This record gives sequence, structure tokens and C-alpha cells, in this order.
Amino acid sequence: MSDPREPIIRFEHASFGFPGLIALKDISLAIYEGEFVGVIGPNGSGKTTLCRAVLGLLTPVEGHLHIFDCACNELRCHHRAKIGYLPQKGVVDRNFPVTVLETVMMGRYGALGLFKRPGRKDRDIAQEALAQVGMDSHKNHALGQLSGGQQQRVFIARALAQQPKVLILDEPTTGLDITAQHNVIELVQQLHDELKLTVLLITHDINMIRSRVDRLVLLKTRLFAAAPPKDVLKPEILHQVYGKDLVITEKDLVIVEDYHHHH
Amino acid sequence: MLDLLAYDFMQRSLLAAAMVGGLCSVIGVFVVLRGLAFVGAGTSHAAFAGVALGYLIGWPPLLLAIVFGLATVWITGWVEERGRMKLDVSIGILYTTTMALGILFIGLMKSYNAEVYGYLFGSVLSVTPEELSIIGALTVLVLGLLLLFSKELYFIAFDQEMAEASGVPARQIFFLLLTLVALTVVVSLKTVGAILVFAMILIPASTAYQLTHSLATLTLYSATIGIFTSIAGVLISALWDVPSGPAIVLLATTIFFIAVFFSPKRLKRTRLAHSH
Repeated sequence: MSDPREPIIRFEHASFGFPGLIALKDISLAIYEGEFVGVIGPNGSGKTTLCRAVLGLLTPVEGHLHIFDCACNELRCHHRAKIGYLPQKGVVDRNFPVTVLETVMMGRYGALGLFKRPGRKDRDIAQEALAQVGMDSHKNHALGQLSGGQQQRVFIARALAQQPKVLILDEPTTGLDITAQHNVIELVQQLHDELKLTVLLITHDINMIRSRVDRLVLLKTRLFAAAPPKDVLKPEILHQVYGKDLVITEKDLVIVEDYHHHH
Repeated sequence: MLDLLAYDFMQRSLLAAAMVGGLCSVIGVFVVLRGLAFVGAGTSHAAFAGVALGYLIGWPPLLLAIVFGLATVWITGWVEERGRMKLDVSIGILYTTTMALGILFIGLMKSYNAEVYGYLFGSVLSVTPEELSIIGALTVLVLGLLLLFSKELYFIAFDQEMAEASGVPARQIFFLLLTLVALTVVVSLKTVGAILVFAMILIPASTAYQLTHSLATLTLYSATIGIFTSIAGVLISALWDVPSGPAIVLLATTIFFIAVFFSPKRLKRTRLAHSH
């Protein structure tokens, strides 16, 4: 997407990892405000590294990364609070003694800063975030008693309680049943549309997101493509990354071996 | 029993036990939730090595206990952060090394020193007014810092990476927690002793963990259990003339097993299992 606006996140020939073990190499990529970007690639392709970099948890070993016009190694705590994050693991210790509201209130802590106690305003923001994900009636429940899909909603609410500009979700549908997967992606789309959030969604499920995202970022250590889905989901590009022949139909993306097997 | 309470030494012991019980059980919440249980054990043995060295070279034992305790937790935290080694392995090595140092220092002493063993096994009934004021000052300091940073501490206990990503200075808070664990251990050495202080950190918080789904309630329950068992343990110790450390710890353990048995979480799981 060529966009006249200033990018909110800008990678310039950035590499991440350790000498001898580079997770992402020579990435140049600009992400614009309000974009819905899907990040895809095989296991170990650097998707999570890309996330952690945008969160300011990693600094490039080469090149530059600017977030909100701030070099990522100078990213201040109040900037970090502007990036909501749903980490990959998804499954929490079922006995961790925390209520749904306590979990979402944690989203306020970074923005509040040290020494300040959360007040009524923070509680209101947290309750509103819970309402946005449709979990307000569960606020006093134990987090561990919820289903996987409900827990993901609560974690999305925690990210929203930060009142972020950017929302990063690392494989939010992993381990969920098919209805819950659909509901979570639907919710993300709705939040993107209504709150004008910039969304980075990492997933393996290309079929689920291809009709929703503005652009797909295809990674395998290097950046193979960053373009609208129709320009990325081409057999020759996908073959380079996944090493298998893929058939792309109107709606689905199928590995050829499986395709023959099933038909 | 009321006669006992009239004695100065008894009043001092009960006050010391209540403070140590409260302190250990509150920091225990963060230790249990952050998965640092073994760090408590390692630190207490390191602190004991500091005490032994203090008696050997004639330096203040508590000062060296703090130095040894802090060195242990900071090295442990640094190793974990670097991801070089699993936390239980690094603390296991430090734990046994400092214990070996402690035994070595005791061996190097020319004569038997009963006071050193007081720090190993605890002797709350012999707490002096000076020790009581040190315990009081450190208790206020540690509890004050825990209160001041409680929201950040809860967050890193739940998910440290998430806390860092959302703008909490998580690394610094983690090292603060480790530092407070070391101070708590040193404060508690004289009352419950190096071997049992670990139990006072672990058991009240683990008991409370069985009973609630809320972080705030968990902390309140843990503090109540910690203070109650410490005071009751000292009274049992004085009435029946048994050592105070074991009295406190065994009482806390009994309450722990009762809590596990009647845990709403466990009962709920059992009901669910039967219904399927």
C-alpha cells in the first residue's frame, strides 16, 4: 500500500538476532497508521522476532527500527504503553489466582507509570475494554475458569486497556476450536475498524485472514513480500518460502500433495 | 499463658515473630507466583554462610549475611536474564557452594560457637531489643517497597515479558524483588533460622493460593496465615518448651494440608471430573 502518511513503524535494513544466529535479516518495511497487516511465514521464520522488535524488546544488530519516530532502543515506557500486545502462549496457569478485571487492569500499569495507584478512571477504562470484547459480565470470574477463546478475549481487553495505537497479536487463534478462532479474528477486525487501530496479526492461518487484511508480510528470515494478499499469495512466491507447491483458489490455499490426496 | 505475656522477652519474641511472619508471607506471594521458591532456599543458605564468616573474622554477622544474600540473588537474576542456564540449576549450584562455605567457616573457628547455630535453627525467644529494632526497621522498609511497587510486582509475577512490553520497567522490578527476598531472609534468620525461613516464605502463600482466585485476597490471606502461625508457634514453643522454628513451620504446614483438602479449586476440579 503506497501511502502518503508517515509510517508509524519503520524498519530500515534492520537485522535481529545474535552474531551467527540471525533471526531476521535486512528487513526494510514501513507500516502505516490504521493498517491491518497479517504476518505470515513458516515456523522459525522470524515472525515472533518481528513482534518483539516492534515492542521495543529487541534492538537491531544492524540497520534501524523507528517506532513512533523514536529509535527502538530509546523507546520510552510511555511509548511502549501505546503498543498493545497479545503474546503467543495463550494458555495460562489455570490456577493463577487472578480475576478477569485484575488481569485487564494490568493493561493500565505501564501507562500509569511507577508510584501511581490505579483509580476510578483506570477501572472505567478497563471495564470499557472488557465491554469491547464482550466479556464485561465475567469481570469477577477467575481467569483460569474461562475457556481458551474467552481468555484470549480477556488478554485482548488487557491490550486495549493500554489505549494503544498499535495492536500486535502473536498467533491469537492457536489452540482454539474453530468457532472460537473465527470469533477472535472477527473481534480483531471489528476493533481495527471501530477504533482505527494499526494491527499486526501473526498467524499460520492464511485462509482465515486473507480477505480481511490490507497487506500480508511474508517472512522467512528475510522479507519476501509485503503487499496486498492477492499480490503475495502467488504460487511462485509461496513456493520460495514454504518449499511446497500450493494451489490458490478463490477462497483457499492448499498444499498440492494434500490437494491431490483429498480430491 | 497470660503470665508468660508479662515477660519482656516474650513480648519481644511475639512482636518479632509477627513481623517476620507477616513479611515472609507477603513477599512469599510474589516468590510463589513468579516461581522463585528455590531462590528463597538458596538465599537463606548463602546468608548463613555470611553469618558464619562474620563470626570467623569478627565482622557484624548480619552485614555479611546481607552481602552474601544479595550477591546470590543478583547472580541468579543475572544468569536467568541472560538465559545461559535454567534458574533451578544456577541457584542449586550457588546454594550448595554457599552452604559448603558456611560449613568451612564454622570448621575454621577455633571453638564451638552456639550463636552461629542460633542463626541456623532460629531462636526467637532470645531476640534482643537491638535485634528487634533491626527487624522492625527492615520489615517497614521491605513492606513499604512491596506496597509502593505492588502493581508492577503483580504484573511481572503474572507475565514478565508482557509487563515489559506494556511499558513497566520489568527488569528493574525483578531485581528489586530479588533484593527484597534477600533482605527478608536476613531479617528472618534470627527468628526462624536459615533452614526454616524458606518455609515461612513458601507455606503461607501456597496455602492462600489454594483458597482464592484474586491477587488482592491472596495477599491478605497469606499475611493473615503468616502472622497467625508465627504468633501461635511462639506461644506453643513457650508453653510446651519445644523449639520455636519447627513449631511455627509445622503449624503452617498443617494449615496448608487442611487448605489443600478443602480448597475450592480442588473441590471444583473433582466435581468437574465426576461430571464428565
